Amino acid sequence: MFPCKYRTAGFKGYAVKFSPFTDRLLASAASANFGLVGNGRLSILTTTTTNTSNSRTQSNTNNSPLTILPQQHYDTQDGLFDLSWNELHENQLISASGDGSIKLWDITLKTHPVAKWKEHKREVMSVEWNYTAKTTFLSSSWDGSVKLWNPVHAQGSVQTFSEHNGCVYTAAWSPRHQDQFASCGEDKSIRLWSTNAPQGRSIASFGGHTDQVVSLDWNKYSPDVFVTSSTDRTIKIWDTRNLRGSVTMFGPFEFPVRRVKFCPFSPHFIASAGYDMSASVWDVRNGSVTFVHDAHTEFVFGIDWSYFHPGQIASCGWDEQIHVFNVPLPQ
Amino acid sequence: MASFRLTQVASHLNGTKAPRTQIGVQSPDDIIIVQALRTPITRARKGGFKDTTSEYLLGTILRGLLERTHIDPTLVDDICVGNVCPPGGGATTARMAALYAGFPNTTSVQTVNRQCSSGLQAVVHIAHAIQAGMIDVGIGAGVESMTQFYGPQHKLIPDTISDEVMEAPQVADCIIPMGLTSENVSAEFCIPRSKQDAFAALSHQRAARAQKLGYFNEEIYPVRTKIADKDGKETEIIVDRDDGVRPEATAESLGKLRAAFSADGATTAGNASQVSDGAAAVLLMKRSRAKELGLPIQGKFVASAVAGVPPRIMGVGPAYAVPAVLKKTGLTVAQLDIIELNEAFASQAVYCVETLGLDINKVNPKGGAIAFGHPLGCTGARQISTLLTELKRQDKRVGCTTMCIGGGFGMAAIFESEH
Repeated sequence: MFPCKYRTAGFKGYAVKFSPFTDRLLASAASANFGLVGNGRLSILTTTTTNTSNSRTQSNTNNSPLTILPQQHYDTQDGLFDLSWNELHENQLISASGDGSIKLWDITLKTHPVAKWKEHKREVMSVEWNYTAKTTFLSSSWDGSVKLWNPVHAQGSVQTFSEHNGCVYTAAWSPRHQDQFASCGEDKSIRLWSTNAPQGRSIASFGGHTDQVVSLDWNKYSPDVFVTSSTDRTIKIWDTRNLRGSVTMFGPFEFPVRRVKFCPFSPHFIASAGYDMSASVWDVRNGSVTFVHDAHTEFVFGIDWSYFHPGQIASCGWDEQIHVFNVPLPQ
Repeated sequence: MASFRLTQVASHLNGTKAPRTQIGVQSPDDIIIVQALRTPITRARKGGFKDTTSEYLLGTILRGLLERTHIDPTLVDDICVGNVCPPGGGATTARMAALYAGFPNTTSVQTVNRQCSSGLQAVVHIAHAIQAGMIDVGIGAGVESMTQFYGPQHKLIPDTISDEVMEAPQVADCIIPMGLTSENVSAEFCIPRSKQDAFAALSHQRAARAQKLGYFNEEIYPVRTKIADKDGKETEIIVDRDDGVRPEATAESLGKLRAAFSADGATTAGNASQVSDGAAAVLLMKRSRAKELGLPIQGKFVASAVAGVPPRIMGVGPAYAVPAVLKKTGLTVAQLDIIELNEAFASQAVYCVETLGLDINKVNPKGGAIAFGHPLGCTGARQISTLLTELKRQDKRVGCTTMCIGGGFGMAAIFESEH
């Protein structure tokens, strides 16, 4: 199926996220010069089912987007590596920047962010809004820390969690316990935390990957289960109840997977995107790949599922392309 | 700054690739064991199988494996059978056994001889064939009727061997009787007779206790067969236990036995493996296939290794094969929960336990070949059934099977229980 495309000209895609509030609204975080040096761009986009470029009509279901239209974009001093939509305010989102700052944007405004937090000492690699408690968000950084923020907290971060050695690539909220989150990093470890734990100590640690762990996401239906991807070229599925470590593994592949995301509509599917320049969908019940999207021509770093259309995926990569396409979710 | 980011991306592409098979990790491509099963082991010429032929033993255990796993026999692509002594390498009798057991003629059969490790090598051949995609489902088995094919009247070594070949270094060592290789190990590594007898007694004590407490029940498939008395009158019997075990054996009582292989030697009939009959079989496939077929998983094949050692001290084999397989898996000796170390002779078993630094409580917890016998081709497959059931019973995970091999080798394999 011909993917719906948009080009963030001059900026290489690092992350793409669908809005949890508004159908067909999505944003991408991209960086000039592959994110190595230079500016960043936060692009606000909408998908539309009407083909506005010419008058030829095509039959399609309500689910199939035909075009991606730019709505707004914001340029930043340093590259952007991640973004997350505000779960309380439909027009707001936060961006994670290479200069250690996190900015809060309102898409009804044309140029400047509405808030900026600069505490991390190095690149902010991920941000995620708490989608259960909704009032807080996490950031993870190359400075080895994960920070908890509340936008109304004027003094800055609420708490800092520093146990990782080196870059913390991803911090992700638990879908069931609004105080719990997991993080993964360059030190090959995965840590489970609670914002209620005394002295900010992690509550569990998971080992097993033989190289850096770059992405982590929780199963939205089996809330003790999470998936990770690593530069050891595997994807692993973990169960927090199973500290003995019976873990399911896919791979090793030829190239690492850079981002993994569990489907919001089914406990059985994971979307992955990586250095093999493709995006795939996995059925975790048997480890089979149910869909491969190989239209990208560079590393694919960003992937997300739509919250409104089951099976709709957005991907972005270093080829400056954002693709939106639909995949089957077989029972 | 930019250079750090560049280095980071480069590091992603140069990461250390994860091993395909990991302890505690389940992958759809893992080679798993649905079930490992064995017949009882009986004393050659005197025990319950003295009038049973090898194709009947093999056929019975293959039938037993079908019965216990409920797998459709037409799904089995290949059966590899380890055996050492029979004529023609047992190839024709193995084919007969498979057809008798109910496999269609579309199920292929092969045999392998790596002496005492043949049963293990058979399982490993099948595991590799599945990994390579040559087959989908296979059985690794082992059988030996030492009653039928072992003894002074059976030639395992030809009468005529080229003089020129015999003169090459170490060649003459290949035909040293196994008992003399045991004496070589005793002498060269100073393993006193007393230690050997103590080890042998321990094997009997452990096997006797395991029998009494029913620890062998899960791995043994009872065999219905016929036995003839001294007048040739046949009766039908069911053999359901190993008959070589001597619960009353002590280091002291074993100390009274005469050396069997050299006048002032340390190796006796009591501290050497028994000459026995038996068969064992292991059903293997990929995890993804087992899930598709709805079959239970007893354990996982992790890795195996083989190592060559001087033929005249062949007993040291495990001391080389075990480190080789541990290196492949990144495991340490301490991480092994149970070790099935074949007791060809107490001399070499003691040597290997001490050299490898094994915890004696983890070695052969249900006894070994000194107590219940070593039917040559069967042992390698038999050890897997003994190991996996004991890992489950003790609620442990990682096990190793290993043996020394006549001709100068050692072989070892790592398995993980998935109880």
